[in-house]
Amino acid sequence: MYTYICENSIDGILTGVYDAYADRYPRNEIHLQAHEPDNLSLFTQYLPVKADHEKAVKVARTLKSRFGQEFYETIYQAAMSGEVKGKSTIDKADAIYGTISLALACGDGTKTLLSLGEPCVYRVFELCRATGKEAMHLLGFVRFQELENGILFSSIHPKHHVLPILGEHFSDRLPEENFMIYDETRQIAVLHPAHKSFFLADTDNLDVAQTKHFSAEEAHFQSLWITFFRNITIEARKNAGLQSQMIPKRFQRDVLEFQAS
Amino acid sequence: MELCIQSDLMEKLAILTDAAKYDVACTSSGVDRAGRGHGMGNALAPGICHSFAGDGRCISLLKILMTNHCIYNCAYCQNNCNNDLPRATFTPDEICTLVTQFYRRNYIEGLFLSSGIVDSPDRTMELLFQTLYLLRRRYDFNGYIHVKAIPGSSPQLLEYTGYLADRMSINLELPTAEGLRTLAPCKNRKTILRPMRQIQNGIQAGALLESHELSAPSSHSLSAAVRFAGIDPRQKRFVPAGQSTQMIIGATPENDYQIMKVTESLYDRFALKRVFFSTFVNLTGDDTLPAPAATPALLREHRLYQADWLLRYYHFRADELLDETRPDFNVYLDPKCDWALRHLELFPVEINRAAYQTLLRVPGIGYLSARRIVAARRTGLLDFEDLKKIGVVLKRALYFITCKGRMMYPVRIEEDYITRQLLTDKTQIPKEIRHAGYEQLSLFDTAFLGINQAV
Repeated sequence: MYTYICENSIDGILTGVYDAYADRYPRNEIHLQAHEPDNLSLFTQYLPVKADHEKAVKVARTLKSRFGQEFYETIYQAAMSGEVKGKSTIDKADAIYGTISLALACGDGTKTLLSLGEPCVYRVFELCRATGKEAMHLLGFVRFQELENGILFSSIHPKHHVLPILGEHFSDRLPEENFMIYDETRQIAVLHPAHKSFFLADTDNLDVAQTKHFSAEEAHFQSLWITFFRNITIEARKNAGLQSQMIPKRFQRDVLEFQAS
Repeated sequence: MELCIQSDLMEKLAILTDAAKYDVACTSSGVDRAGRGHGMGNALAPGICHSFAGDGRCISLLKILMTNHCIYNCAYCQNNCNNDLPRATFTPDEICTLVTQFYRRNYIEGLFLSSGIVDSPDRTMELLFQTLYLLRRRYDFNGYIHVKAIPGSSPQLLEYTGYLADRMSINLELPTAEGLRTLAPCKNRKTILRPMRQIQNGIQAGALLESHELSAPSSHSLSAAVRFAGIDPRQKRFVPAGQSTQMIIGATPENDYQIMKVTESLYDRFALKRVFFSTFVNLTGDDTLPAPAATPALLREHRLYQADWLLRYYHFRADELLDETRPDFNVYLDPKCDWALRHLELFPVEINRAAYQTLLRVPGIGYLSARRIVAARRTGLLDFEDLKKIGVVLKRALYFITCKGRMMYPVRIEEDYITRQLLTDKTQIPKEIRHAGYEQLSLFDTAFLGINQAV
């Protein structure tokens, strides 16, 4: 058996796929892993993979041209999932490798993604859905605060790496704003300078104190919003259970109107 | 001075939010529109929920009234001119500031603007138009706008406004003309249906224009809009997210069958996107109306919405779900299960062969699952394990389906037996509603269901 240990990122995993194909070991003896092995097994050769952007781009280009944009996006979104391995589930990288090799074998990406009976395809489907769902939630739940220097700042704690999706959405929506969404779990941020395109950056140099200096108007609009939020509730229909079912507790910590009360 | 203005705006917002909250629709769906690289705003077809209020309802739009002054005296409405309560009016600029400042902080998806009637329907509609015009033009706002059309206002005003809004709605208020006469003497069915028809025609004309890709607007009415508001119909569509309406349930004695028939004809004849139901809450203390119940009839509302989905997504007709002899929905079972139990002769259906339309009618299979089944069975025969992965609710579906000719368990296809089994499924009455006061009802009160009487 040959197990490739990849970095937990889209580049890392796709580089793993590239190397696995380049080495030409027998298909059924290859596994990929996006985490360090916690337990070494006998008769297995562990091959560390160094993430290589160029190799990843080559794989991505192949996937897009052979199987279409939708197939690639499914793989991409699955790779962004924060669930690397579960107790009884297939490793993320292995599921992606398995799905890609099935698609290459049958030549039809759409058909492959529909064969949910295949464990690795089902895993990719689950991972992709989880990421998509959280991203969809956060499109609504992100709250920006206006800082002294006019930058709109937001901090979130997502399970999955959703910043690229959020960056794309908000830079289309707020082209004239300088904004920054800070993923505190991963310590990275998406930054958008007005009228330019967004980019990801790690936040070693982020001055946390500065993100607490708000503009003069900020408190005013925050309290206006909280006034609205309180008054829109119909008292006769009050239902706290339904409320936290719709906006789960783990999101509430970053949502302004849920901190005020 | 500054402080004074701020607290003034706060007070207005409190009053005019309070006055608007009984309007049901808060959806921001139906239109896909990319940003334009300036100003702010885009729109996504599925809509986005930004928060959830204490009653669990989605907050997507800033839902406010322009003013809660009103010359009408509709008995069910708290803004009724005979009611003694604080009144306030926003200026168009105040609304624009709130919308844009909330929007850039990502509190909201856009604006939902309604209003009490000031002076006359035309004057009111004019104020709504002015606000939208300012918001779109001066504030360069490209997000979602849902605006109420005021019954009785002039067709021109309605049209100008329609080019600025994404969705328009006119409240039907009450399911029958009779109810409207008694409770809202200032309104009548005709002034409600006429603008509804006008909006429908406007939407269809727009679609026609688009399909012909006309480079210049040809019809007279379009050019009037262009002259008046500087609106270019090539760039801006008329009410692109369609129109909706709502009616109040429980203030008048209509049964569920009548309500579903009205709903169905609204979809058929007026091509509405949505019909919303609003459970009546007695706010005016009017003793000719039903008294405030301990908990509003949320379960009834829930069943009506379930049936509404069956009409819109599952190709059901109102007459299949209810009739003169059974005019109300079953309290214990959702309308689809209820229907299936009365049509056991059609079941079980084979998952690997049944047509899409047939799959839609199986309890426990939603339209997404049905679509996935049809796609997935092209690549191989499906079994119960696969259905689970696809998202089918097997605890409901298993009585009605076979996979590769076999049922999941040996099941007697018999109404009594299946009903009892389905009733053990707690989700038939959603948790939120069970907790809101329906728990005292015994789920096994089968006499209510009329099962034993049939024997």
